[in-house]
Amino acid sequence: MGREERESRTQERKRKRSIGTDGVREENRDLVVSEMREMDLEKLRSVVRDCMCKHLYSSAIFFADKLATLAGNTPQDLFMHAQALYLGKEYRRALHLLRRFHLVSVDLRFRYLAAKCLAEVKDWEECLAMLGDGEVDEDGNVESAEEQGLDLSESKDVEEREIHVSSAMCLLRGRAFDALENRARALCWYKAALKADPFCYEAFEHLIDNHMLSTEQESKLLASLKFEPEDKWLSLLYSCRANKYVHGAKIEMKIAELEQEMDEPLTDDESRAVCSLKDNTDVMTCKADLEYHRGDFQRCYESTTALLEKDPYHLRCMPLHLGAALELGRKNELFLRAHSLVQEYPTKAISWFAVGCYYYCIRQYDHARRYFCKATAMENSFAPAWLGFGNAYAAQDESDQAMAAYRTAARLFAGCHLPNLCIGMEYLRTNNLNLAEQFLLQAKTICPDDPLVFNELGVMTYRNKEFKIAADWFDRALNLAPKPLTESWEPTVVNFAHTLRKLKMYAKAITEYEKALALYPRGASTYAALGFTYHLQGNSSLAIDYYHKALGLKPDDSFTSEMLSVALQDECISQSSSGGLRLSSALGFPHRVIVTVSLIGSCGSKWSALRQTKNVSRLGRSTDQRRAFLRGLTTE
Amino acid sequence: MAADAHHRVELRRAIRQLRERGLYAAAKWAAEQLVGLREETEAEKLALKRPLRRKEVAGQSNIGAGIPPREEDEEEEEDVFCLAKSFFDVREYRRAAHALRGVTGQKAVFLRCYATYLYGEKRKEEEIVELAGPLGRSDAVNEELVALEQELSALYGKGTLDAFGSYLYGVILHERERKVEARSVLCSSVNTYPWNWSAWLELQALCTDPDILTQLNLNDHWMRDFFVASVNLDLHRNSDGLARYRALHVTFPRSDHILAQTATAHYNLREFDEAESLFEELLRTDPFRIEGLDTYSNILYVKECFAALSFLAHKAVLTDKYRPETCCIIGNYYSLKAQHEKAVLYFKRALKLNRKYLSAWTLMGHEYVELKNTPAAIDAYRRAVDINPRDYRAWYGLGQTYELLVMPYYALYYYRRATQLRPHDARMWCAMGQCYENEQLQMHDAAIRCYRRAVTNNDREGIALHKLAKLHHQLGQADQAAFYYQKNLERMEADQNEGQDIVEAVLFLATHCKNQNRLEEAEHYCTRLLDYGGPAKEDAKALLREIRSVQQHAATQPSMDLEQFTP
Repeated sequence: MGREERESRTQERKRKRSIGTDGVREENRDLVVSEMREMDLEKLRSVVRDCMCKHLYSSAIFFADKLATLAGNTPQDLFMHAQALYLGKEYRRALHLLRRFHLVSVDLRFRYLAAKCLAEVKDWEECLAMLGDGEVDEDGNVESAEEQGLDLSESKDVEEREIHVSSAMCLLRGRAFDALENRARALCWYKAALKADPFCYEAFEHLIDNHMLSTEQESKLLASLKFEPEDKWLSLLYSCRANKYVHGAKIEMKIAELEQEMDEPLTDDESRAVCSLKDNTDVMTCKADLEYHRGDFQRCYESTTALLEKDPYHLRCMPLHLGAALELGRKNELFLRAHSLVQEYPTKAISWFAVGCYYYCIRQYDHARRYFCKATAMENSFAPAWLGFGNAYAAQDESDQAMAAYRTAARLFAGCHLPNLCIGMEYLRTNNLNLAEQFLLQAKTICPDDPLVFNELGVMTYRNKEFKIAADWFDRALNLAPKPLTESWEPTVVNFAHTLRKLKMYAKAITEYEKALALYPRGASTYAALGFTYHLQGNSSLAIDYYHKALGLKPDDSFTSEMLSVALQDECISQSSSGGLRLSSALGFPHRVIVTVSLIGSCGSKWSALRQTKNVSRLGRSTDQRRAFLRGLTTE
Repeated sequence: MAADAHHRVELRRAIRQLRERGLYAAAKWAAEQLVGLREETEAEKLALKRPLRRKEVAGQSNIGAGIPPREEDEEEEEDVFCLAKSFFDVREYRRAAHALRGVTGQKAVFLRCYATYLYGEKRKEEEIVELAGPLGRSDAVNEELVALEQELSALYGKGTLDAFGSYLYGVILHERERKVEARSVLCSSVNTYPWNWSAWLELQALCTDPDILTQLNLNDHWMRDFFVASVNLDLHRNSDGLARYRALHVTFPRSDHILAQTATAHYNLREFDEAESLFEELLRTDPFRIEGLDTYSNILYVKECFAALSFLAHKAVLTDKYRPETCCIIGNYYSLKAQHEKAVLYFKRALKLNRKYLSAWTLMGHEYVELKNTPAAIDAYRRAVDINPRDYRAWYGLGQTYELLVMPYYALYYYRRATQLRPHDARMWCAMGQCYENEQLQMHDAAIRCYRRAVTNNDREGIALHKLAKLHHQLGQADQAAFYYQKNLERMEADQNEGQDIVEAVLFLATHCKNQNRLEEAEHYCTRLLDYGGPAKEDAKALLREIRSVQQHAATQPSMDLEQFTP
């Protein structure tokens, strides 16, 4: 008390000095003093605020402490003090402060700050207890009435848009559950956070970047969000980022709308003159993502390069950039990028992921594995690294380890179909068709629009010799694949053609093979298969032509050279004898060879399989598979 | 005369436009034809300077409707273009392409794409040198093709691609093995701008079939005549091509291109003397020419003119040592001197300089056959037919090699390809017949059919006649055998040939006549046989003795025969 008195007296004296010159009347003195004190405190508050803005946290703590004491520990000033402590990373002290004055129960904001402090010190259980047990259902509808009531009473300040505290609390709950590895609850709370306030971008980021939702759930959630009409852009942006596997055209439309919509407002509504999002890095990333998914790596690489020139630390775009560079074999770029990332962000998973990509690119899978592993250890929730890890194992034919990596990924990223797909492909490779089917169908339920899944399903049924069904799958895959087809879809086209050939629809098969050759003119096995189809049709001279072409590209192919000999003999007989004989030889021939031929499973591309790395593994893989196919042709 | 003036104006303009775009080979060709026109008269020159010129220019805009009107870009763009072109000229292709990024003029777009394409080609070549396997096989591809194709196809779809752009698009499509599209794109290119000889050549490479040629939708233009003549040569319709070149010769009397092509046509028709004299004429007017001289060296090789070939080789080396044609000439020279290893070395060098150099591949195949290196020979021939499936020599070589390897089915197929290309060449038919005779196949009927075709196609070496006779002999068809032996004998007598074939023929005929009781003829043949030594002489003596005894027998007991033969 004594101290306080002293202080107030000194302040009075000060004020007298300053105000006295203005001749303030004595009788009003008391009133003025309290007023002046208020003004003084306000000044001090502004100092504290300013210190926080200028990141002078120790000064902020110092002045906030004084302020709280001077103002008589009003909750408001205590809150400021706690805030300063929090920013100055003195979490325990902040917590203690809040608890000492029993502020925690007073207001949501205090509770939130306390919980935040507990989160920072990683005391998750306590943190949840602090937040209170709200109940949340599957769709993220919060059931606790108390909070909603409070929510309404909270600021409805339209002028200054705030993120609702309740939303922030939901988010924090989600994070806590995430940290406690209770993913289902975390998911619900993230959803709740987003529903409470669509502007709570962090919740959205968590949901999307950690692949927590399947496509269907994503669209459902987005539909349930309540956006103000003027926030349409945000809803568009969200849906662009979320819908990864839905038809590209839709996203493209949305992106266009996003770019355009931003252009218009100036004319129809001056007040919300939002400038165009045309060159915004996030929109650009969405575009690049789309290009990546289309397999248009060249263009994707170009746009990400342009983006990174604008903003070299745009980490969200980085995996895309690395993936595209990997696809294109730009090892120089990968090397430089990895080096600078490791230097600038040594604690980020993405940096080590980049290193892994570089080693993957130069086919040193051992090293690649090590760095992918390091990346996953740093950030458990970094999906590309897990898949890269699996792919690096798969590239070395170590199925078991690869599968383990994919499984972890499948567990961590329930909304991402790629781990399941990879597992399915891995089973397919080891010829475990039943299990493969199971996982592929699972992948299909998560993401019903990825053509790659259909391709793999087709390969699986093909191996089961159910050619009709296989043709159906391939057909659907090709219908879903973005048009015009790029080189990465060539394996699917070839697969489709093989299936048609099996179904004895030779003419159709031939057109498909030709389509495949237009996409990739150097496919020796495509030429061989095309020759074989002509051969089956009894057109041995064309068959010979194509066998030659195949052998020209790949001279040591035993299947083709064997078939060539057969065709040459046929040709010889048919040429030198009358028409009757020729017919008979044509008819007789298929029996002989059909036995030798069975299929092909050049299943292709793992490329949609996860961004990054997935594609490359496809290259290595598909040649393997093609080899297997030809081996199958000759041995069976 | 007016037509001449017309051509002259067109060519002059074309040369300028082609050079502006870095299409140097086409510009060179155009310049060659420009000089190949009749000499410009004084009157013409004057006319050109004044009123005619204006008339011509007015006419031009009609002809060259497809040529973009002189681009009126901003000066800055023109400056950038100049910079890029300078980079291009010193072969800094990537830099040139970079300098032109974002410039939208058609000329600039073409130069940028072309520079990018050339950069890709250069990189590919370098990669091949670094990574190539034996005989330069490698998987290197031009990395820029896909992106370029996308860009150009978009422009083509919009219809904003000029004739030069569509030429480049056609080249790229051809490389991507999309031949049908490539043909239509190139057709549209040459229809809008006919003076780009490179485009015509690219189109020629895509005309693998006479039917395709007739289906092409080409506007009438004098450049088309050049193209058709050239395609005809390529498709082995040599006399047709020759006639067309003669017609062109009237308009372009001094064109070396026409002269060289005429000589090649003669060579293809195996009229070596005419071809040789034409080449000599060519060398007189243009002594430092190297193009096409490999054909000349082939002629000298076939005619075994050691001295001339040596002279040619030395001269070529002095002119330009590192031209594929030069290496080819030297290779031929060593081959003639039976130094096959050295020959292979030079052919290899030729191929290093130009991997698509057709005749070097074929000739190298021949050399490998000489060296008994069949795998290498097959590879070389295959490369040749990959480059141009109309090269009958390579097909024939492949057949030969497989025959050496005793793989008659393969050999037959290749021979058949050769005969399809040259149905009037007896050598192919003979080879095919021989193949059918092979002990694995034993298809004598087919063999006989082949030999007959050889005979009808004027078989100069006479192999077919002899083989036919022998085959009929084997099959016990003595009459046919005798007929062919007789014919062969006549041919050999006319050629004053000596050899085992004569002995065989005469011996057979003697026996045959004896059996047929034409004893006098038989005696005549036997006496001829007595001129030859060896076992044939002994056979003849035995035959004679037999004949004599039969004769005596017939004289003394004329009824014996009758008794013998009447039941």
